[in-house]
Amino acid sequence: MPTVSPLEMDDVPMGQLPPHIQLQRTRVFCASDAPTQTENIQYSGAYASMGVDNSFRLDDFVKNFRVEVVRLDEDDIEFDMIGIDAALANAFRRILIAEVPTMAIEKVLFANNTSVIPDEVLAHRLGLIPIKADPRLFEYMSENDTPNEKNTIVFKLHVQCKRGDPRITVKSDQLEWLPNGSEFQLVTDNSTSNSNSNSKPKTYTSFSRSQTSLPEFSEDSIALKHNDITIAKLGPGQEIELEAHAVKGVGKTHAKWSPVATAWYRMLPEVVLLENVEDEKAEELVKKCPVNVFDIEDVGEGKRRATVARPRACTLCRECIRGDDWENRVALRRVKNHFIFTIESSGALPPEVLFTEAVKVLESKCEQVISDLS
Amino acid sequence: MDSQPEPVSYICGDCGMENTLKPGDVIQCRECGYRILYKKRTRRIVQYEAR
Amino acid sequence: MEHGSIKDSSSSTFSFADEDHTLANSVRFALNQDPRVTFCGYSIPHPADALVNIRVQTTGAPASEVLKDAVQDLMVMCQHVRDTFDKAVVDSKVSGSVKAMKIKP
Repeated sequence: MPTVSPLEMDDVPMGQLPPHIQLQRTRVFCASDAPTQTENIQYSGAYASMGVDNSFRLDDFVKNFRVEVVRLDEDDIEFDMIGIDAALANAFRRILIAEVPTMAIEKVLFANNTSVIPDEVLAHRLGLIPIKADPRLFEYMSENDTPNEKNTIVFKLHVQCKRGDPRITVKSDQLEWLPNGSEFQLVTDNSTSNSNSNSKPKTYTSFSRSQTSLPEFSEDSIALKHNDITIAKLGPGQEIELEAHAVKGVGKTHAKWSPVATAWYRMLPEVVLLENVEDEKAEELVKKCPVNVFDIEDVGEGKRRATVARPRACTLCRECIRGDDWENRVALRRVKNHFIFTIESSGALPPEVLFTEAVKVLESKCEQVISDLS
Repeated sequence: MDSQPEPVSYICGDCGMENTLKPGDVIQCRECGYRILYKKRTRRIVQYEAR
Repeated sequence: MEHGSIKDSSSSTFSFADEDHTLANSVRFALNQDPRVTFCGYSIPHPADALVNIRVQTTGAPASEVLKDAVQDLMVMCQHVRDTFDKAVVDSKVSGSVKAMKIKP
């Protein structure tokens, strides 16, 4: 009897995976006890024994990759990214949170603070205020750099509550942008002796020109994102006078530089009815789901059948596969290469720009590696 | 350190009156004679990291 | 920086300073799908150090070349992602919010 390789048997489809393995490759199975098939099969030879090439082809990626914007407003974007691996989707998410630069207050110079909030706490609070300034127009300031108009934004806060007046709340709109740099003069030993020879007294920054005169900034290009953030409260007779210097930085140094409130993705939920769920069972199913994924349709002759109407709303809480043998009727899965990506900008840049910036950051990392290797 | 020592302001612990004292002065409020004085914050710039 | 042997260029470890899972996992993904690669993986020797080691073993091709190709692929993918995304954003802005209301779950 001639030996026949199992791969050459008639019922083995060549060049494509058997349906159940294809399903395992592309879906996460969310069973009642635990999710299974959660890993991505990346290895090019993973299915070599079945005659299937799992290697990556760029033109396939280019052909299959899709982006669909679901929602886009001033600060939020939600979009579907289809046909990409979790490795890359996660890289974009990580970069958005930790490596896309913004401007944030880093140094606070106190001339006076008689309020109840201590200097260091107030400084920390100021650091967290989102600044609406395009970070691409600024340079990083390293340790030995002097603050100048290309790397620093200066804000002034001078508020006081007069004796006899009621308590006042200091809001972020009382921070005033100083396009000409610091107004506090540096106290140096020889400042008294040759103050006449210097036309301009030395301050904590050395701006060569006003930031408003730079072509890239218009009048309102630098502002605070929110004008109603409470900074401090002042009782009668108390006063705060300070300058806050904002510099460029990234979220991995300190979260105040993170350009997003958060950025996250979830894989597209897939809800499949494995058999017809009818009449009382259908009603039970609709009632089971807390987010109302299922609907009931009439199929004639007084019969009613459950349908999956809103799978995107599914949170995979697994209520619908709890009890009896519901797991045999409903299958919950996630599509491994379909990401529902949400970005909430904290205000420095619009959310769609943030994403392109994040992709650019990954590109420049790649560029760096290539230049390191050659 | 400094060539001319600047007078330092103090606030009386009892009546809240502002007193300026020079080195060698008696530590006592000029208004009420109370002997506990608190130093008033100067306008010297202090710098903090906003972290 | 590459740590390999002079005799056998087909397997090497590459160290990248100031990098983390973001780059390493993406590179590993790109490398794994290259048929010339027999093994690849990455490790972060110490969580407090900003350093990753990426190990590449190939069927014979120089590991550095294979890595370079993988990174190049990654870069092309990024560019395509950016182009596609920008187009999708422009489309959604043109078609307005009517469509957005419908898709919303």
